[in-house]
Amino acid sequence: MSNPIIVIENLSKCYANSNEMSLDNISLKMDSGEKIGILGPNGAGKTTLISIICGIMSSSSGKVKYYIQDNEVTYKSIRNRIGFVPQNLALYNELTAFQNFEYFGALYRLSKKQIMIQYELLFPMLGLTNVADRKVKTFSDGMKRRLNLLIGIIHNPDVLLLDEPTVGVDIQSRNAIISFLNKINGKGTTIIYTSHHMGEAEQLCNKIAILDYGNLIAFGKTKDLLLQNNVSDLMLLLMKLTGEGFRDNV
Amino acid sequence: MFLMPLILVFIITIIQDSAFKIINENKISLLIVNHDSGSEGNKLKDMLDQTRMFNLIENNNIDFSEVKKEISKENAMVALYIENSFSEKLNSKTIILSKLVMANIGMNDSVNKKELISLLPPTIFFFNDPVLQDNYCYSILNLIHSNLSIIENTKMLEGLYSEMGYDSVPQNIKESIINNKIPIKRIITSVDDNCKIPNSTQHNVPAWTIFAMFFMVVSLGSNIVKEKLSGSFIRLKTMPTNFALILFSKQIVYLFVAIMQVILIFSIGIYIFPLIKLPELTISSNTLGTFIIVIISGIAAVSYALMVGSISKTQEQSNGFGAISIIIFAALGGVWVPIFVMPEYMKQISKLSPLHWCIDGFYTLFLRDGNWLMLYKPILILLVFSLSCQIITYLKLKYDKLI
Repeated sequence: MSNPIIVIENLSKCYANSNEMSLDNISLKMDSGEKIGILGPNGAGKTTLISIICGIMSSSSGKVKYYIQDNEVTYKSIRNRIGFVPQNLALYNELTAFQNFEYFGALYRLSKKQIMIQYELLFPMLGLTNVADRKVKTFSDGMKRRLNLLIGIIHNPDVLLLDEPTVGVDIQSRNAIISFLNKINGKGTTIIYTSHHMGEAEQLCNKIAILDYGNLIAFGKTKDLLLQNNVSDLMLLLMKLTGEGFRDNV
Repeated sequence: MFLMPLILVFIITIIQDSAFKIINENKISLLIVNHDSGSEGNKLKDMLDQTRMFNLIENNNIDFSEVKKEISKENAMVALYIENSFSEKLNSKTIILSKLVMANIGMNDSVNKKELISLLPPTIFFFNDPVLQDNYCYSILNLIHSNLSIIENTKMLEGLYSEMGYDSVPQNIKESIINNKIPIKRIITSVDDNCKIPNSTQHNVPAWTIFAMFFMVVSLGSNIVKEKLSGSFIRLKTMPTNFALILFSKQIVYLFVAIMQVILIFSIGIYIFPLIKLPELTISSNTLGTFIIVIISGIAAVSYALMVGSISKTQEQSNGFGAISIIIFAALGGVWVPIFVMPEYMKQISKLSPLHWCIDGFYTLFLRDGNWLMLYKPILILLVFSLSCQIITYLKLKYDKLI
């Protein structure tokens, strides 16, 4: 039996100046070592959910519980074990790739030696060693996305939350990112990620949560969900569950 | 952050140097056109020369209509035209007035009324360049009047002595009339009576350094907005670090830059300006006071930049609002035009500008050799200003859920 790492209970979120619920009574259990994809159309509540999990945003009601080896702990005590890769490229363009890595490493209170160890381990994995001394402003979107990801895992987190980590990147960078995530998951890191790329999610995730209009409409193992709904892939599953109508108004 | 303020200080100081010199040390060029056939015109000329206020240019070969042209050609800023009959009319005036005095005290026959009516006062014509301020013209006119009074009084005395049957006025009496002015002792109200005359350097170097410090708002403010928009603040929220520490670190870096600006620009004022014949910057002997004013000005500048960055939604907004607000604060605060030449209501309004209090601090140190008692006001006001900016920044970031 697997150990829970994050348990969400009856979580709701309603933004100020809005009558609609962005998240409506969501309950989820995420186990250690899983690769969970949070999928859904625009405005479904994916970013809101991930923001609440990693402590950026507060919920209107409900609870997010965090666990270390079956013991419930506070967010503050687990914060150092959570990594976050925001959708925006939260990098300093005037600094080099290594300087960015070093700066965020210092904020995670890593020693210079620890930063160097991580640098030597992680930069080659995402093909950034040769450009480590180049200013980030000279990077392509794909290179920035890869660096953005490296900074999220600089401190070897137990849980890595990624908000659309492959937006706007070429197929090579996307492939490198997905392979990298599979590798670190193999070493025990739990992956929770949001995406619009169904193929990518299918390639990466062993569990899927589908949100629509703030509601959790499906949650389970990817294979089971496809079988239950009698569809061959995640795109068809999503279309079946959320409909074909545009979501321009959200 | 360093080169542009330096260029600005150089240019403005050079431009304003001559204007400050007019007020402080330069002599006004005075054209004298002396057509007087007697000696009194020359006497007046010599007396004005002795005041050392003018650079006298005498040209008696031009007529009345040409004097205006000489001013227009900028050959002189002011001109005096002494008419042909100046001495003659002055003599007539003093003889008749002497007779009148003698008649009044019963020592002579009454004065013929026809003589009084026919009396024409001597006239001097004064021309001035329109750029010369009115109050400055009045000062020159008063100086001319004062010298004319001495000539007139001497002539009067000569007339009275002549009416009483003396050949001439005794020399000692004449001298005592001319020289026996009531002495006015000038006291400059700096604390240690050490007079430092304001010049273009003493004003421009601290004023434009402060401007440069505050202009950091464009860089720091923009940086804050960029981090808000790029998600850096969001990422920082997920890290096991104190956000206040990050903001504090940013401020320390920018404060360091501000101090470096002061050191660089002040050093140029002290060591380079004299080499290019600009007045040397004289700094206060109160080193601790100077250091504190520099630090507090830097803190005020950084706090303001932080506030602008936190309340702006876009980088364009931060850059636009930040830069324009600093230009307005600079104009109000006396960076461009020193506060002492502003009208009274503007002097009151200028107190709303933080730059005013920074300049006031430097003026207190550099010109008034101010002590702590005089420095506490600008220090206190700048501290309150900085604290207010910091509180607004905190509340805005808190409201935006960024901290």
